[in-house]
Amino acid sequence: MKCGDPFDALLNHQKPQRVPLYHFIFGFCARNVGYPVASIYNDPLKSFNAQLLTFEQYGIDGGPDFGYASYGGWEFGGEIEFPSSEWQQAPSHGKFVVNSEEDLLQLRLPDVRKAGMLPLAMEFSRLQDKSGTPISVVLGGNFTIAGNICPVGTLCRWMIKRSEAAHRLLRLATDHIVEVVRLWTETFGAERVIPNIWEPLAANDIISAKHFEGFVFPYLREASEEMLAMGVKHIHYHICGEQNLNLPFWAQLPMGDPGLVSFGHQVDLHTAIRYFGDRCIIIGNLDPAVIQNGASQQVYELCRQCIEKAKHAARGFMLMSGCEVPPMAPPYNVYMMKKAIDEFGWYN
Amino acid sequence: MPSNERRKQILKGLYDGVVAFDEDSVVEFSKAAIGEGVDAYDALMKGLAVGMEKVGELYASREYFVPELLLCADALYAGLDILRPHVKGGGSEESGKKIVLGVVEGDVHDIGKNLVKVMFDAAGWEVYDLGNDVPLDRFVEEQQKTNADVVGISALMTTSMLAMPRVTKMIKTRNPNVAVMLGGAPITREIATSYGADGYADNAGEAVEEAGKMVQMIQKGETAHN
Repeated sequence: MKCGDPFDALLNHQKPQRVPLYHFIFGFCARNVGYPVASIYNDPLKSFNAQLLTFEQYGIDGGPDFGYASYGGWEFGGEIEFPSSEWQQAPSHGKFVVNSEEDLLQLRLPDVRKAGMLPLAMEFSRLQDKSGTPISVVLGGNFTIAGNICPVGTLCRWMIKRSEAAHRLLRLATDHIVEVVRLWTETFGAERVIPNIWEPLAANDIISAKHFEGFVFPYLREASEEMLAMGVKHIHYHICGEQNLNLPFWAQLPMGDPGLVSFGHQVDLHTAIRYFGDRCIIIGNLDPAVIQNGASQQVYELCRQCIEKAKHAARGFMLMSGCEVPPMAPPYNVYMMKKAIDEFGWYN
Repeated sequence: MPSNERRKQILKGLYDGVVAFDEDSVVEFSKAAIGEGVDAYDALMKGLAVGMEKVGELYASREYFVPELLLCADALYAGLDILRPHVKGGGSEESGKKIVLGVVEGDVHDIGKNLVKVMFDAAGWEVYDLGNDVPLDRFVEEQQKTNADVVGISALMTTSMLAMPRVTKMIKTRNPNVAVMLGGAPITREIATSYGADGYADNAGEAVEEAGKMVQMIQKGETAHN
C-alpha cells in the first residue's frame, strides 16, 4: 500500500486528506493494457498487473481484486464460461451442478484448496501479499452462491414450496464462505484479509425483504460472526442493485471496525449513511450506465453529487462505480471520477 | 353448458388459483371448465389471463417478487396446457399478435425475459422465445420467419446492452414496420430511444401494455422518433 494511501487511512480510523477513489473496475483494466477481458478473471498475473497499471493511470486507491458475480457454480462442480465475445463482460454460467432436489442431495462442500477459481484467487492473493496491497478474497454472499449453484428460478421456487431444500443449499453456501475465508486467514493472517462479499441476487428486483430476512440475513450474520471471530478486522459487503427494502437487515450485520459497505446507484447515499454511516465506510454509487453512455460532463456532475452527499460520513466515504465500470466505457468518462475528487473531494 | 353461476365460479377459481399460485386448484378448475362446457378461450382469457394481470399488478406494487411470480406462472402454464388444445379460435383484441423475445448476445441473465414471456403468454400473444445469449442475426431471422409484430430484447450487463442499438438497426433495416422493445436493468426509456427502439418496459407487468401501444403506433405510421 502506498504511504499516505487514503484507503489505508480510513481503515485505520484516520481522516484522509481527500475522498479515496475506490475500484470496481475489471474488464476495463484488461482492455486498457491490451489484454483480453477474460484475462482479468483467469490469469492472476495479468489481472494484477492490468489493475495496478490502470489504478496508477486513473488515480484509483486501494489494491486490485480478483473475482466475479457468478462465483459459486464452478466451485461446487458446475461450469463457467469466461468472456470471449465482443459483448461479454464477465464470466457466466455454463452448466449448473444442481437442477433438482436429487442433485442437491448429492452436493457436498468442495475442497477450497482446489475448487473452481480458488487456486487462481490464491495465486492472485500471493501477488497482493508480495506487493503489500490489501489481501482480499471476493466471494458471493450465501444467496448469490446458492443462485449460482442452481438456477436462481429454482432457488426462488424452493423458498416458497420446498424451503428445506433452499435452506440446505444456503447452509452449504454459508459453510463454503467460512471455509474459504478460513483458508485465506490461515495463509496470510486474519488481520490482513478483507473478505469482499457480493450479494446481487438478494436484490429486491428478485426477492422480498421477508425472504431476505428468512433466507439470507441469518446466514450472512452467521458468516460475518465467524469471519470476525477468526480475527478479520474488516468485511466489505457489496449490497448490489435495488436493496432498499433489505437495508434494515443489512444494518444489523457485523462488518468489522470499520466495516466497508458499497452500494449500487439504486440506494441513495443519504439513506446509506443513515443506516451504516456510524460504523462503516460508505462506498459508491455512480450509475455505471451513465459512465458508459453519458457525456463526460454528466459523469463529472454525478461524481460531484455523490462526493458532496457523502464525503462527511462519520467513518468516511469512497467514490466508486455502483457496479463494475463497463469495460467499454469511454476512458475520459472514467477519468471524470478522479477529476471530480480532485475538485470536490478534499477535506479542508 | 354450466349455469351462469357455475361458469363464474370456474372463472374465479382459475383467477384465484393463478394469483395464489395454487397449481392444483388451477388444474382442477381447468378440467372443470373443459368437462362442464365452459368455452376454453373464455376460461383462458377471463380466468387465467385476468389472474396473471393481477399478478403483474402485485409485482409492480412490490407485493409479489420473482419467487411468487414464478409460481404464479407455473400455475398459469398448468392451466394453459389443459385449456389451449380446446381453444377454437381467437376473438380477443390481442389474438393474432406475435412477439419474438430474447436476451441479447453476450448475456445469459434471463429471469426478466422469462417473466415478460409469461405476461405475453397470459395475454394471448404468440411468443417466439429465442432464449439467452442470442446472436444478433437470430432476432432478424426469427422476426422475418414469424412476421412478428414486436421484437423484445433484454440485457442485464452494461457491455451486452451495447449490442442493442446494432440489433435494433438490423431489425429495422430489414423491416421498418416491426416494433422493437428494449428492457433490462441498465436500460431506461431514454437509452432505449437513443438506441433506436420504439418502446421500453420497466418491468414484466408493463411490457404487454407497452407492446400494444407500440403496435398501434406502427400501424398508424408513427414511431417513437417522429
